[in-house]
Amino acid sequence: MRKLLLLALLWPCMSVLYAQTPNRFQIQGITADTSSTPLGSATVMLLQRKDSSLVNFTRTNDKGAFAMRNVKRGDYLLKISYVGYIPFQQDIVFGDKEIVDLGTLKLKAITKELFEVVVKTARAPLSIKGDTIEYNAASFKVPPGSTVEDLLRKLPGVQVDQNGNIIAQGQQVQKVTVDGKRFFGSDPKMATQNLPADAITKVQIFNDKTEQSKVTGVDDGKQEKTVNLELKEGFKKGGFGKLTAGLGADGNGNAGPRGEIKGNYNKFDDKNQFSVIGLTNNTNQTGMSWDDYQDFRGSSSFNSWNDNGDFGFGGGGGRYIIIGGDDDGGLSIPVGGGNGRGYSNNIAGGINYNYNTKKIKTNASYYYNSTRQVVDAVRNRENFLQNGSFKTEEESSQINFVGNHRLAFRHEQTVDSLNAFIFTNNSRYNVGDTRLNSLQEFFRNNNFKSNETTINNATNVDKIETANTLIYRLKFKKNKGRSFAASASYNFTNNDGVADQKSLNLFYNATDPTDVMRRMLDLTNNTGSRVSQLKSSLLFVEPFAKRFFWESFVNLSYRSDNVDRDVFDLAKDSGRRVPVDSLSSFYKNSYNYARIGSSVRYSYKGLNFSGGLAVQSFQIDGKFALGQNPASFININRRFTTWIPNASLNYDLKNNRYLWSGYDVSVSQPSTRDLQPVIDNSNPLIIRQGNPDLLPTVNHNINFGYNMFNPASFMNVNVNMYYSYNVNQVVYNQQVDPTTLITVTKPVNITGGQNIGSYIGFGFPIKKTKASMNINFNPGFSKNLTPINGVLNQTNTDSYRFGTRLDLTPSDNFTIFANANWSVSNTRYSINTGQNQQIVNHSYSGTMNIRLPKDFFINSNLNYQIYKNERFGFNQQVPILNTSIYKILGKAKKAEIRLSIYDVFNRNLGVSQFANQNYVSQERIQTLARYGMLSFTYNMRGMNTNIKRRGGFF
Amino acid sequence: MKNIKLSTVRYQLRQSGFAILALIGLGFSISAKAQQTEGMVTYEYKYYWTKVNSRLTFLSKEEKDRMKLTWGNEEDGPGTKMKLTFNDKQSIYTYFSDQGQTEDGRYSWRQSDYLIHRNFEQEKLIENHEMLGKTYLLEDSLMTYNWRIQNQIKDVAGYVCMKAETFDPIKNHKITAWFAQDIPVSAGPERYFGLPGLILELDINDGDVIVAAQKVELKNVDKELALPKMKGKKIKNNDYDQMLKKHIFDSIKAQRNPYWSIRY
Repeated sequence: MRKLLLLALLWPCMSVLYAQTPNRFQIQGITADTSSTPLGSATVMLLQRKDSSLVNFTRTNDKGAFAMRNVKRGDYLLKISYVGYIPFQQDIVFGDKEIVDLGTLKLKAITKELFEVVVKTARAPLSIKGDTIEYNAASFKVPPGSTVEDLLRKLPGVQVDQNGNIIAQGQQVQKVTVDGKRFFGSDPKMATQNLPADAITKVQIFNDKTEQSKVTGVDDGKQEKTVNLELKEGFKKGGFGKLTAGLGADGNGNAGPRGEIKGNYNKFDDKNQFSVIGLTNNTNQTGMSWDDYQDFRGSSSFNSWNDNGDFGFGGGGGRYIIIGGDDDGGLSIPVGGGNGRGYSNNIAGGINYNYNTKKIKTNASYYYNSTRQVVDAVRNRENFLQNGSFKTEEESSQINFVGNHRLAFRHEQTVDSLNAFIFTNNSRYNVGDTRLNSLQEFFRNNNFKSNETTINNATNVDKIETANTLIYRLKFKKNKGRSFAASASYNFTNNDGVADQKSLNLFYNATDPTDVMRRMLDLTNNTGSRVSQLKSSLLFVEPFAKRFFWESFVNLSYRSDNVDRDVFDLAKDSGRRVPVDSLSSFYKNSYNYARIGSSVRYSYKGLNFSGGLAVQSFQIDGKFALGQNPASFININRRFTTWIPNASLNYDLKNNRYLWSGYDVSVSQPSTRDLQPVIDNSNPLIIRQGNPDLLPTVNHNINFGYNMFNPASFMNVNVNMYYSYNVNQVVYNQQVDPTTLITVTKPVNITGGQNIGSYIGFGFPIKKTKASMNINFNPGFSKNLTPINGVLNQTNTDSYRFGTRLDLTPSDNFTIFANANWSVSNTRYSINTGQNQQIVNHSYSGTMNIRLPKDFFINSNLNYQIYKNERFGFNQQVPILNTSIYKILGKAKKAEIRLSIYDVFNRNLGVSQFANQNYVSQERIQTLARYGMLSFTYNMRGMNTNIKRRGGFF
Repeated sequence: MKNIKLSTVRYQLRQSGFAILALIGLGFSISAKAQQTEGMVTYEYKYYWTKVNSRLTFLSKEEKDRMKLTWGNEEDGPGTKMKLTFNDKQSIYTYFSDQGQTEDGRYSWRQSDYLIHRNFEQEKLIENHEMLGKTYLLEDSLMTYNWRIQNQIKDVAGYVCMKAETFDPIKNHKITAWFAQDIPVSAGPERYFGLPGLILELDINDGDVIVAAQKVELKNVDKELALPKMKGKKIKNNDYDQMLKKHIFDSIKAQRNPYWSIRY
């Protein structure tokens, strides 16, 4: 039987015939433990000695015997392993005999303590190097702040006495080394009592030769117990920063020098991220870039997707990401912006801290930004009436200042596997002031000046905003898929503003030029507004059948607005403040909002469908009065109930193809300003009227999309379609008085406006890795309804946009990325077909990069916009070319010096033209145009020298 | 007394497993008692994408750091569950469940076809890969891996495992496998096999992907070892390797991430 078994053991090489050559050997032996008990089922491996490559393996039988036949002559190592024993190794020496009998091979047991504690309990890998056994210290839990000594006490086979002496495997430790080196002289306690435990990754305990034998080279046979501590690699810890400073000259004479400084620094380890950022410039860069934002916010960059407490269809309420925001509004840090109109000086800076563990994610940040902008503009506008038209010409000069202090705090805590909560606070303190000087002149058809207005306005705004949300999420142990979430929010805004309006209006008589009517206006407005809102939402998800979920939500909200506006006239009584009751107002509105909805979701293998219905009720209780100390109020009490259906489909198809579709209904409530039955004549030429009968706007949207990409051929296809239909859309009915040219606007509800459109895109490589192309086609058709002077006008706009993109990356030294877009839109008016027009927009843009020898680079960007409207004789062409040459300095490529010219052709004239159904306008703003700049950048992480990629995803 | 009995039984079982391994070589077949050499392992497959993306040569250090700082903390979520069904003759490795889904199950996605079959007896393999926009059926003879055995042991899912290393020259990956000394089967997760024991943990390229056993059930799995019907373009080992090689080369050259569309 034994022979049979032995034979069987050799099944991997059974087919090879037994040959009587001296080059084929049989290796055999018996494995046993130190007390000669045979070890059956031990793994016996034959390895190449040079690299431990596995050549052959077998197992021992129940008597501990093994045999390997047909082994070619070679340089081998025999390795035997058995659970609980130190793996045995022996070199194989081939002799003349065909059978290499190794006799009985004895395996030493791993100390029971070591095996149980290190391998089984701490689950740490155990490395065996001769008689050295090392293990991962990170697996042994010690409280933070512990020293290595505390750690050693935990290790099996190690004792530390009261004096700090270490005894390992029964012997006193003579030497403690750190990364193999002596640590602070010869006292072993120096290392163990001073080093923090969390700096250590491995502990090795072994016998080392004595110092004396090392020095003399004579092995005295004595050995010292040695502990070696290996330090953690610092790769999860670091710091980096970047600084750019530039100085330049403006190409347009009178404008002053240009300059910019920006810098950021980050320090991080596996739990903490700390960063600061600062920037200042007068080159119209209002905020940091997305890359800078990500460096600044670190792990908090995109966490707000989960922070929406307004649960709705889709369950989470957080399917939309709210980031960025416009330049002055919003609680979140502004990103991007810049290259705006006029001239601006900008200052921004902030600090951010993130703390992340598996259970806790905390973020706190402060950010300040300010912009002082000068806008000098010339505007022309022609308004068309049913019979004729009138023109407006305006010259204005405006200086705006806005400053924001933003504080953000977020804490996410996973209490246990079932409970979690998120608290967020975002606050902003905003100050702003504006000075506006303007001269407006109005001309009739025959170029007769009918009136003229000189305006000197000043406003000051002081605003505090805060938004706080607490979200709690609960999962259930027994029912996977059942979940509950609750949220509560409190938002508050306090806004105090002072606006001084000074204007002189001159009305000319058409027949007698000397007959001029003068109207002086010198008003000061004090407005105080307080808005507070309390919100709460609940969400419950129940898996009611396999693959089916029932999702229900409730939203409740109460909002209260208090606005007090006091207007005084300074003109009437030579500088004394005279209250103007007709312009002063007070209102208090409260809004109650409740929504309840339910949907059914199906999800299986990438087919996700959800359909549901909600009902919402919206109630306005408002009171309104004119005057500074009103005695009586006008009450507005309205209640709207709307049914909202919803459906969505996502389908994940084979081979990277996706299909989606959705139907949703959005409801916008009329604003109180539009509902107030009050006439607002603060602008004497455009008088606004409220409409208490307004209904909420209901917008129906349907969309459908498909996309696919082929990763092998780099080909992709994108198709989507949308349709939207408006019910009770709020539009402003315009009534122009043909004699005074005063426009009266009033909001009304109109049903029937709609949009339909599509986007079709196709991308493919022309030559793989060298050239690729994208083409897209984007048709859109819209129908809008507007009443003009009492007549309902239907505007149909058909637009066709065709775009193409070409990426040329022929080598690492030269790349071009080019875009071209052509679009044509035809607008037709139902009541005044003579105004039908065609607008043509073309744009060509491109980026070219060249890498020259000696780390010199050239980068050029062209953006060429063409705008044509034949009806009004517009033909505007704006080519903006920015180009720079730079050199990367140093071996580590950490610094860069760059010479840039912005707007080489000096064509950034700030011209914009706009044509609407009843007017056409043109505006020209003195704007930052050509300037040159020499800048220097130092980046601790090295400059990016890659010119082949446009950035974005990878 | 009872304890001794139990350990004897276990010892015998271990021996019988060994005996079966031996007998199979001679063409005998006894499977009733073959407990040690057949069963099912549930693995968790975790893909650390910020680590993978950090290896993209065309990214600057700044871009890599930015990615790690922003997303590095988001990778603690659960991985994909995989299962390996094995006996001493063959093994099948594929997804544990027939769909991918979020933790709460409310959103699901399709899993790309992926099945790895090894037939140790006939030295043959069948693999089903949905990758690069197509589904392939790889049928060929078994390849060999040059495993280097290391002097390290650790516990994985209750089994003491020994470390072995090899290298994937196509993807340029360092492969570390931990094989169980107590389960004498040459099977393993993903495409790896050929060690003296069952591979319970696989570390692809220094922690870019970790496939670790969570549960090991030793039981009869004859039924589960039946191959499902698979369709796909037929391909051989060599062409498969060439195709991967070309895709990785082209993607890196075009500065795209090659790993979105192939198994890492």
